Amino acid sequence: MEYALLQAVFLPLLLSPLAYVVGRRAGAGPAAWVTFGILLYGTALVVLAAAQDGTYEERYPWTEMFGEFGLLMDGLAAPFAIMIYAISAILALYSRPYMEHKFRQMYAGRRRAAVLELEAGGGAAGGGGAAGDGEGEGGAHGAAGADPEFDRYARSQSGLYFALFLVFAMGMLGTILATNLIEFYVFFEVMLIPGFFLVAFWGDGPRRRIALMFLFWTHVGAVVLLLGFLALGLSVGSFDFADIKGADIPPDVAFLAAVAIALGLGVKLAAFMFHVWLPWVHGAAPTPISALLSPVMIGIGAYGIFRLIVEFLPAQYGELSVWFHVWGLATMIYGGAMALMQDDLKRMLAYSSVSQMGYLLFGIGTHSALGLAGAEMMYVTHALGKGLLFMAAGVIIVQVGTRSISKLGGLAGRMPITAVCAVIGALTIMGVPPTSGFMGEWIMFYGALETAVAEDSALRYATFGLGLVATALTMSYMLWMLKRVFFGKTPAGLSGVREAGWHMTAPMMVLAGFTVVLGIYPDIFLEGIVPYMSGVLG
Amino acid sequence: MAAGEAAAAGLLPAAAAAQAAWLVWVLPFAAALIMPAAGRAAPRAAGYAAIAFALASALLAASLLPGALSASEVHDQIGWIDAIGLKAGVLADPLAVIMANVVGWISFLIIIYSTGYMKGDRSLVRFWFWMMFFIGSMQLIVLSDNLLQLFFGWEGVGLASYALISFWYRDKKKDHVGREGRRALGLLDYYSPTHAGMKAFIMTKVGDVMMIAGMLLIFAFAGTFGFKELAGDTAWAADMAAAGLLVPAAVLLFGGAVGKSAQFPLNEWLLEAMTGPTAVSALIHAATMVKAGVFLVARLGPLFFALGAAGILADQFFEVVAWVGAVTALLLATQGMVNPEIKKVLAYSTGSQIGYMMMALGIAGLSDRFTDGYTAGFFHLMSHAMFKASLFMAAGSLLHAVGSRFMTDMGGLRRSMKKTYAFMWAAGLALMGAPFITTGFWSKDAIFAAVYESGNAWAAPIFAIAVLTAVITAFYTTRMIGMVFFGPKSAHVLRMESAGRLVREAPLSMWAPYGILAALTIGIGIIGFSVEGGMHHLFVEYLDHSFGIRDAEDHAVAASALPGPLAGLNPVALGASVAAFSVGIGLGYVFYVGRWADPARFVASSPVFYGIHKLLLNRWYLNAMVYWGFVVAPLWLARGVFRYFERTAIDYGMNAGLEKAVGWSARVVQGTQTGVAQSYLFVFGAGILFVALVLLV
Repeated sequence: MEYALLQAVFLPLLLSPLAYVVGRRAGAGPAAWVTFGILLYGTALVVLAAAQDGTYEERYPWTEMFGEFGLLMDGLAAPFAIMIYAISAILALYSRPYMEHKFRQMYAGRRRAAVLELEAGGGAAGGGGAAGDGEGEGGAHGAAGADPEFDRYARSQSGLYFALFLVFAMGMLGTILATNLIEFYVFFEVMLIPGFFLVAFWGDGPRRRIALMFLFWTHVGAVVLLLGFLALGLSVGSFDFADIKGADIPPDVAFLAAVAIALGLGVKLAAFMFHVWLPWVHGAAPTPISALLSPVMIGIGAYGIFRLIVEFLPAQYGELSVWFHVWGLATMIYGGAMALMQDDLKRMLAYSSVSQMGYLLFGIGTHSALGLAGAEMMYVTHALGKGLLFMAAGVIIVQVGTRSISKLGGLAGRMPITAVCAVIGALTIMGVPPTSGFMGEWIMFYGALETAVAEDSALRYATFGLGLVATALTMSYMLWMLKRVFFGKTPAGLSGVREAGWHMTAPMMVLAGFTVVLGIYPDIFLEGIVPYMSGVLG
Repeated sequence: MAAGEAAAAGLLPAAAAAQAAWLVWVLPFAAALIMPAAGRAAPRAAGYAAIAFALASALLAASLLPGALSASEVHDQIGWIDAIGLKAGVLADPLAVIMANVVGWISFLIIIYSTGYMKGDRSLVRFWFWMMFFIGSMQLIVLSDNLLQLFFGWEGVGLASYALISFWYRDKKKDHVGREGRRALGLLDYYSPTHAGMKAFIMTKVGDVMMIAGMLLIFAFAGTFGFKELAGDTAWAADMAAAGLLVPAAVLLFGGAVGKSAQFPLNEWLLEAMTGPTAVSALIHAATMVKAGVFLVARLGPLFFALGAAGILADQFFEVVAWVGAVTALLLATQGMVNPEIKKVLAYSTGSQIGYMMMALGIAGLSDRFTDGYTAGFFHLMSHAMFKASLFMAAGSLLHAVGSRFMTDMGGLRRSMKKTYAFMWAAGLALMGAPFITTGFWSKDAIFAAVYESGNAWAAPIFAIAVLTAVITAFYTTRMIGMVFFGPKSAHVLRMESAGRLVREAPLSMWAPYGILAALTIGIGIIGFSVEGGMHHLFVEYLDHSFGIRDAEDHAVAASALPGPLAGLNPVALGASVAAFSVGIGLGYVFYVGRWADPARFVASSPVFYGIHKLLLNRWYLNAMVYWGFVVAPLWLARGVFRYFERTAIDYGMNAGLEKAVGWSARVVQGTQTGVAQSYLFVFGAGILFVALVLLV
């Protein structure tokens, strides 16, 4: 077990050149398998570490100035870590067909641009109007089956893609396992960089601009976070979690630090008013990355609040919890209402993520062990459910060639596996048993009620009630989306649509199976989470 | 009880009984899971597997009956969510076992019927999957020993109804309900299957939200979801009552039942639920789904009533239940009088009859003889399950034969569909409460008596509503039978016949199930009074044993002046019941069977009648109001926020706006870099002056 977590974190980084070389030499398929293999190995190590009794920790010497470089797996970190690597591994496989589609589209776009340049002034170019960055409907499919030039292009792209993919996953895991503020911050920024390039290189729409927006906003958040970290670290005299926990911090410094951390992570969580970047980025990112960004990455903001505020600054957490509660409620309702208004499938899912992050914040604000445990279950649940939905959206983009909900319809008969997986994903988000969503939701709402009863607080009773009502809103936008995409009449142009290959459907089926298993038997994660949360709240 | 004794009494040994109780609900789920494989092996295998599993589940439920009839119970638990200390379990007490048998056997008959009804459909595997899932979820509700596990079944039922109501998800015109182009308050009253499924799921979810709030409230005080634990130690209730939360929690839990059972004000989904295949409607209305709400009240009612012994009263809860039931009974019955679609008439009727059950369960808690109302409500649930399943399946046969959901497209079918005609009369008479020979009569009469004898302040108005509803029920049932089977053949049928497509009787696999149920309603109806007596006796024992509820002396029986076999019946209730039946069927006969008067001309004869007719046809405008308030307005609001806040303040203000602001300030700074030494000096001097001033002052 020695070096298990160190391997899990750094192998993807060290081996990312390998993925790059394999991609360049052999193409997307082998690169996807290499990436999958590396991440699967990492997942196994993470699961092994999580399965140890009690907490599992590795420490390595680092610099004098910052303290130790540690990797800690405890009841809080385990669900996050497992979900991050497991979903990354699954998405590595899913990436291959999606990205091949994307490369083909971009290649066609480039060629068309080149042709137009050559024939400038001539009345040729049968297709008319360049597709630019957007999806040239279906047209991309026809472009070049065995074109050697395309092969070269696709190989160079896929090498880069899978290398960045690995670094992205590694950054997320490192953040979760960090035991030092500076270490946390470094990993927090490390995941941002590959994220930026992934969007900028292979996104849709004005992708460079959107990637910049992503970089800008999350970076602003990270800087505010860093201010909080510095305030904490300098007043304690150490950046190590072990020293900060239980340290005697002046209350006003601690409060300011807590607020700074909350705001900084609020940007990551895309909480209400800070959500400006999320719909753009998650809508534009290549779909496997959306499926990784949307549920898995932004939830790390919640992890940060758990670890840094709830665990280290309990008194400040007590003061702030009501604010988290209300902020969460506002985010829930606002995100849900906006999701109702979207026509772009991926943007709709992105707004749904905003709403779901509201649930997490709401749960964090409960100030009750079970409420916090429920919030963490909501992270797991959302990772599964939203991952499924984004993957289904990706299948639709590849197989149908559009992501506009109003142009879709009746796909259940054309792609039954995708439809079933999307429905299971939607049920997970809606919190309908036997999916894991229900388990997270009731425990979280129970926590909210428990505190309301204990404090006899009218505000908390009201937020509890409104939060429950918001679940009906969640249900409305999800069901409406399902109705418009998968049911109803099939538009005339979609009669030739087919189910995707198993590279895309099998990953979805794995997630769909897991959400049901977890919904019936939540102890898989709850056994670690509940003792941790009770311990933290004393 | 020792194993030997148990065997001697014809009971299962405890361990076997526990296993049977588990398997009753596990088997249908298992069947659902193997459906895809079975369907792939052979298309017909899926149907046979469904029949086999439904039968096995029903037989297991039946094996529990002897134990239940001797008022014993089976309670078995296993570990579940250890992290929070929750267990899963089955509780097969008399209430659960009788309900499980009603559900199991009626579902079994409906499954057989479905093999005929759904023959040739493209998506049979999906159909069987959800049917079995539906049955399994309902049995899970019935046999759970705690609220959380019950809620799994509860939502499972909702999910299955969503999937089955929108079963024909391609939204073809023939699968819609309502008349195309009809509007109420400017909104279309014409729904596609996928819309209907969504509506059902969301409306019941509103109830479920209330229910989960109630559940969690109780859990917060009691620390348990278990029914036996809740009944065993009632300290939690005292705490809750002291905090003023007991009645709210109870009413919130009832909110779940209101949603699931389609009671006012969450009743509107039930009509659109008719877009599902008729077999599904039969299942929803007779065995699963809407009965779940009644069962929940039957499960929890005694719990709250028994608290009265400890001085904790939950009277308002029972008042709410009784009134919601009474209002729904009347509201939906009135609409059933005018609707032209046969399945919708039956749907209105279901909501209305469930209202009767709620009324009885509510009034039970308001009287000193709890068991009377309780038995009446539950007995009505049983008899309704039989006759309504029969009626729905018969209606499905009509739909198949005629190819239209409108009764105006039927007419004069009594010669071409003799069996259906006879069975529909039998089941219809039970719905109307035909005196002395139908189950419906006895159960409805028991409700009348329970209301009349309760002695509660609300007894008189509720009794009046109950009787009025009975008149209407008899009327609309007669109307339905009259429009379908009597009078001249409709233009639609004539067209069919001239095209060579004759209206034919349904095949055996279809008419046998509803024939059996129709015969049962009459067969049990003839001995109905003693059946009810037996059930009453059983429930007296059960409620005493499990909750310590003991009824007051039956003063009414002593005072009864009725002779011979009718002794024990309340003369007022009996009189009202017979009179309501006679008036209702008489009016129906005049308009629709004998056709001595033309209903259309009657409605047109006076603006008052016309107005009432329009109000009823437009569903009291309640559906339209629900849509305006909870669909149109919120969407309008969300659109406004999206356009005028998200798009401007957030998207523009925080991105493009910010960008522009930065660019603008850069230009300002840039503008100061003039390179003109004088202006630099000027600013420099002004700055020094400013600092000097500040320092001096």
